[in-house]
Amino acid sequence: MFNDPQFFQTIGYTLAMAGGYIVGKIFKLSTEICLFIAALVGALVAGSGLDVFRHFAEGSVTYFDIGLIFIFATLFMNILKESGAMDLIVRWIIRAFGNKKVFFLILLMIVMLIPGALTGAGSISVLVVGGTVSAALSAMGLKKERVAAIVFIVAGLSAAAPPINVWAMMTCAGTAVPYVGFTMPLLVPILILGLFTVLFLGWKGKISNIEEALKTIPEPKGLSVWSVAIPFIVLVALLSLPRIFPFDFPLLGLPLSFALSALVAWIMNYKRVKVFRVMADTVAQLTPLIATTTVVGMFVQVMSFNGTKGLFSLWIVTAPMALLYIILPFVIPISEGLLTYGGVAVLGIPLIWMFNARGINTVIALSGLTLLWPLGDGLPPTKLIGRLTVDTVGYTGSYGKFLKECIVPWIAITVVGILMVAFSNQLSFLMG
Amino acid sequence: MKWSKWIILAILLLFLLAGGIPLFIQRNYKETLVMADGVTRVLRLSDFFEPLKGTMGDTNIYEFQGKDPGGKVLILAGTHESEVSAMVTAFMFVENLQVQAGTVYVVPHYNYSGSLGSQPGGGFPLYYTIPTPWGEKKFRLGDRGLQALDQWPDPDVYVHYPDGQLLSYIDARNTNRTWPGKPNGTLGEKVAYAAMEMIRNEKIDIVIDLHEAEAMFPVTNCIVAPEKSKSYAIGAALYVKGREKFESHVEPSPSNFRGLSHREVGDFSDALVFLLEAPCVHLDQISGPKTNDLMIVGKDPFINVAAEKGLLFVPIDDRGWTIERRVGQQSSVIQEIVNQFNKKNPARAILFTAPKHAEVVEKRMGAFFKDPDKAPKSRIAYE
Repeated sequence: MFNDPQFFQTIGYTLAMAGGYIVGKIFKLSTEICLFIAALVGALVAGSGLDVFRHFAEGSVTYFDIGLIFIFATLFMNILKESGAMDLIVRWIIRAFGNKKVFFLILLMIVMLIPGALTGAGSISVLVVGGTVSAALSAMGLKKERVAAIVFIVAGLSAAAPPINVWAMMTCAGTAVPYVGFTMPLLVPILILGLFTVLFLGWKGKISNIEEALKTIPEPKGLSVWSVAIPFIVLVALLSLPRIFPFDFPLLGLPLSFALSALVAWIMNYKRVKVFRVMADTVAQLTPLIATTTVVGMFVQVMSFNGTKGLFSLWIVTAPMALLYIILPFVIPISEGLLTYGGVAVLGIPLIWMFNARGINTVIALSGLTLLWPLGDGLPPTKLIGRLTVDTVGYTGSYGKFLKECIVPWIAITVVGILMVAFSNQLSFLMG
Repeated sequence: MKWSKWIILAILLLFLLAGGIPLFIQRNYKETLVMADGVTRVLRLSDFFEPLKGTMGDTNIYEFQGKDPGGKVLILAGTHESEVSAMVTAFMFVENLQVQAGTVYVVPHYNYSGSLGSQPGGGFPLYYTIPTPWGEKKFRLGDRGLQALDQWPDPDVYVHYPDGQLLSYIDARNTNRTWPGKPNGTLGEKVAYAAMEMIRNEKIDIVIDLHEAEAMFPVTNCIVAPEKSKSYAIGAALYVKGREKFESHVEPSPSNFRGLSHREVGDFSDALVFLLEAPCVHLDQISGPKTNDLMIVGKDPFINVAAEKGLLFVPIDDRGWTIERRVGQQSSVIQEIVNQFNKKNPARAILFTAPKHAEVVEKRMGAFFKDPDKAPKSRIAYE
């Protein structure tokens, strides 16, 4: 069965790509450069010749929009941060809800869930409200790595939450399955898992003295509420109006919506914000992340070109179901950690067709799988959202320690996701 | 700036040029067609909706008007520009069709913008070629959706007009999710609106949208038809199975999945609509290296393994899903759908001849393409 020369050839390409990556690591090159070398080797050994340049050019724009969103969303938040707006918001939250712990944690969870649920991007939750939430959680006396774990896990859940779940939508688009019936199968487990995460990780935190806690957060002098509120109002309007008036409101896209909101934030706070410095800092802050999305696009392109993508997909879909339940909890997050959204194409689409062929309810199963994908955004080599989270939270300790804090909710999410696949037909009542 | 930074910048620019030039050339490459004598006019989609003029959404429509009056059929290819047998069928029709009664319209690149660049991350070649007795016939390999250069930015979610159904942001550039179109919408919606205007104004009787689908996709090797087209589709499926010895079963058009031609064209016009899915393997995620052979010969060892595991929805054998089998199927099913229409609507019969499945398989694909160097200039068209 697996004895055709093409299998050995493709395994050879895989090993060559792995070799390129390892050599880069031996020379202590960055992960992005290592991935680039791996892609270069993978293209050349498969006979691309000079066409390798075209493959790289084409692959590099695969995640162009995601890079633009990162830049403008971060710029928006950095302007507000520079103006002191974030300090003002955190002080207000602590003053209003600081002595009601459970309510406080649930409120922070909801605040984290909304931006990602509306845009389908956990990065937006991290960038837009992650700083505020982490400051509020830090005021409870929680360790930075624990704060980062809460922000990362809930941001991941926000990305999977309805109405916009990009992994489900990309799979639906690739399999011509309508994106219908996902609301409750996603919302119910996400709310349960979100509650579990904030209560489990945040339970030990407590604001014993609100006034003391407020002293740790600078009080912005002379900052009006409107300077803080109007940029957010503009952002919420630009994100929600296209949904409320889908056929009349001009199509701006997320990057321009954030760019316009950033402009408003600067106009409202122009005396407090040195905008060119903030812009330069933002680009410097995000350069590694943009490099990652660019090089991952090239990597996915080459994997597809030389057949390694097909080989991995094939191995997964031909595995026995019992084995799948064991390997999916590892393979899905790892595919996301390696390929970001490219993992959906490699695994999601063939898996859904395979589930369909075996009579499994694809909506419930896909909902379950999409709980697992965001976890991979914390895994190397790309650790896309993980890096954003530790940057935003200001955690400077070891990355492994941060991941260790995530373990319990990670396992809970994995168990729920896999049970949704295994019992998809029994859970079909969730579709209404 | 330091010298090292200048050097890095220079290398980067070289990379950009070396990578970008082939993409620029592909975007400007013109495919050559030798039009059959029966082509009476070459229309443009913008003839039916002026605002499309001068955009990358505008495209050629080849009209074959028979001597005798009859009904009208519109054949759309290239809705998804990576589904190659659709375009090859349309090219074969434009070069070989003979119409006796009624009118046949052929659109080789319905999603013209999509034909101008391949899919980022897809790893496909920029062109595919078919051997002919006079050399290689070369086609641009396009993308499933419109090019971002022509329609951008993407929304975070695509809201279908007029139904309001939420679809993936990817589908905003999918011309088989933008039906029935919107005159002041995105380019994809304008293209669909222009096609609907043509269908309504020209009183088209039959619309046939040609596609290819992966072997792992449940809706493959079939005719997708809404309720009102169903009896014609069943008749055609039975005929090709019985007489031409190949399978093309009927799939119902789901009423809860909006934006697709097989749903919206029928709902928003009087036309009977059909969407044909020929099986292909190059689009399967599990297939191997993305080569010209994979698209044209249609064989892949990875696909064979999936077939042995019972994961595919089409039979796989030593013949492979060759371009001849796929184009032959598309051609025969089109002709049989029209025959079924003629039986029920003799007053509007559309009579034409085109190569059928067995003939295409036997003579090979290249036999149906003429040498442009030997053709009169008046018969040459460019896509």
